[in-house]
Amino acid sequence: MLLVALFAAQASAQEVADPVGEAIYRRGILPSGQPITAKREPDLQISGGDAACSNCHRRSGLGELEGHIRIPPVTGAALFRPRVHDGNVGAPPNSDAAYSRRDAYSKEALARAIREGVAVDGSQLNYLMPHYSLADADMASLIGYLKGLTRFKSPGVNAGVLHLATIVTPDADPVKRRAMLDVLDHYFADTNAAALAGGLHSRSPQGAMSMPNYRWQLHIWELTGPASAWDQQLRTHLEHEPVLAVISGVGGKTWAPIHRFCEQAGLPCLFPNVDLPVVAEHDFYSLYFSRGVLLEADLIAHAITGDKRLPAAHRVVQIYRRDDIGQQAANALRGGVAGVDLVDRPLRTGNGKQQLAAALRDIGSRDVVVLWLRPQDLALLAALPSVHSRVFISGLMGGLDQSPVPAASRGVAVMVYAFDLPDHRVIQTDYPLGWFRINHIPVIDQRVQTDTWLACVLLSETLSHMSDSFVRDYLVERLEGMLDHQMLTGYYPRLSLAPNQRFASKGGYLVKFAEPSGSRLVAESEWIVP
Amino acid sequence: MFAKNWFYSITLISIMGLAPASRAGDAGQKPRSDDAASRPVVTTTVGYSVPDVQLVRDDGKQVSLPAEMNDGRAVVLNFIFTTCSSFCPLSSQTFREFQQELGPDRERVHLMSISIDPEQDTPARLRDYAHKFAAGPGWQHYTGTLAASLAAQRAFGAYRGDKMSHTPLTLMRAAGAKTWRRIDGFATPSELLSECRQLLAVQ
Repeated sequence: MLLVALFAAQASAQEVADPVGEAIYRRGILPSGQPITAKREPDLQISGGDAACSNCHRRSGLGELEGHIRIPPVTGAALFRPRVHDGNVGAPPNSDAAYSRRDAYSKEALARAIREGVAVDGSQLNYLMPHYSLADADMASLIGYLKGLTRFKSPGVNAGVLHLATIVTPDADPVKRRAMLDVLDHYFADTNAAALAGGLHSRSPQGAMSMPNYRWQLHIWELTGPASAWDQQLRTHLEHEPVLAVISGVGGKTWAPIHRFCEQAGLPCLFPNVDLPVVAEHDFYSLYFSRGVLLEADLIAHAITGDKRLPAAHRVVQIYRRDDIGQQAANALRGGVAGVDLVDRPLRTGNGKQQLAAALRDIGSRDVVVLWLRPQDLALLAALPSVHSRVFISGLMGGLDQSPVPAASRGVAVMVYAFDLPDHRVIQTDYPLGWFRINHIPVIDQRVQTDTWLACVLLSETLSHMSDSFVRDYLVERLEGMLDHQMLTGYYPRLSLAPNQRFASKGGYLVKFAEPSGSRLVAESEWIVP
Repeated sequence: MFAKNWFYSITLISIMGLAPASRAGDAGQKPRSDDAASRPVVTTTVGYSVPDVQLVRDDGKQVSLPAEMNDGRAVVLNFIFTTCSSFCPLSSQTFREFQQELGPDRERVHLMSISIDPEQDTPARLRDYAHKFAAGPGWQHYTGTLAASLAAQRAFGAYRGDKMSHTPLTLMRAAGAKTWRRIDGFATPSELLSECRQLLAVQ
């Protein structure tokens, strides 16, 4: 109980300075429950969420660069800082070293800027800035909120060390767990070796790029017991080991408790290795590479309903294990093929071969079979009579290129492949594979290791764009902004995020095995974005 | 970095009536009126060749971009993405007001909004977006492959490297005309209306 109370106290001190001001800033809602209203000249009215300050100034208040329009920071530090003539031009907006070309706002001057779009120096603010109608009390709440906005560095940032956590659930595949931790250990060691040498950024001859030089400290949060117990464990971990963010991670059947915890704690959770993520794109803190098996379900639905070459399906038979993520994927597919005759045939624990044989007993040539099965179940197909119908296999669950699809099924089996094709991504994956080799990291799960490496690269690049504004919300905002520029994209053809976009890669291919044996794949489709 | 198939032929430079632009599309020019410092708008006349690409309209139909632009109506075009929280909503609100203010001329003008984030902006998301902005029947939103969207952006000098670097832009053309009015910056609905009425007068 004490820990919970401590945690709550810490969270409230840092994040909820003024709930009324916060509701206006983030959601455009007044204490009365009414939406705020604003207009842009001559006569464009906006209200509520469409007029929320955070749309442009962002949750952190640290602003944004939109094209050539600079949306300025509106944190207390930025607004109320006196004019500085000899500050560091390249310094981050909320740092003490920042350069200010205008006088500090007073409360009255700020109210005028918000109501009339007039800056403290009398100039007109950019047209993008609406003119708000706010009563004095609401204005005072908003200004009070801005004063406290992003006032502190995030927890987990101190004395030259950035503390970062990774999370492992008890049901995570042990090979994937080892694969991920090995990459994290080496990446952190590499980063810290460079930090000892003063950091790469310190080599700029002008010195203008002087970047703070932080070591990365990894905290491994291994969860235990049932999923219902994880939230409490995570609270305890965060209490004892405050961190800036969660980097990577590896999950099993559910990631939902971790997603919820990170959202509540305001803790960025960056690109965990999970095949069943939480789809809640209006949540802020969790970013994923893709929707995993839920994306696969949409790709299969797209193929079933959209591919005119397929025979009119008599029915769709889905086979999955009740205690695995295939069940949720099957539900998603059901939702995506309204009007199609769809039958679920879940396997129980026990004799897989017998059950699989029973599930496939009456499959005809006009049926479509969808297998949400792991490699050990797919391998059983070899001992069963061949199926003469279209078969879809989950690539993520079935082992991708290494999937043990028997020779007899390779003619009819189509795998959903939510990655770039192996031939296309050769150059992309050469880089991490070379890095694994020189670091003597055995490749035991290439995809998980590449994704983990990519998560580290993205974090590293984003931090290098933040100077020392190591604030959790700003970290997420900068990641959103820089991902489109990313040239290293690992298994994915491209990555892209934005506000209310939480899955960086959006599509996939349908592929088949090229030969009766081996792992060579050929595309059956173009890149599909369902 | 602009595509090769679009060419500047600036026959007229009118920064809302004043100083010459050093470069088409450069929206940082001197003010015309007292609000222009906060709202720089640069209008130029430019020739573009419309690329022969296939897009997917918000009703899910695959369509040809030239065919959509050559249906006997004037075209008013912009580029948006539905998760943009800063100025796409303003551009779309401006389109809505402009479309309403067109009155009976609405039938003669085709408003087109092409997504610069086509993998996110599925036809269903575009329909939701159009609904939010009360798009009338003459205003369609378009998505498609990333390559098709890029081709359209490049052809109209709208490509800025990635979606987060976009700049506010409206293009309009009389039915069948070769040259376009290119309006860089946040044009108001009445400015769009006045430009458009001039095009309709010669149409």
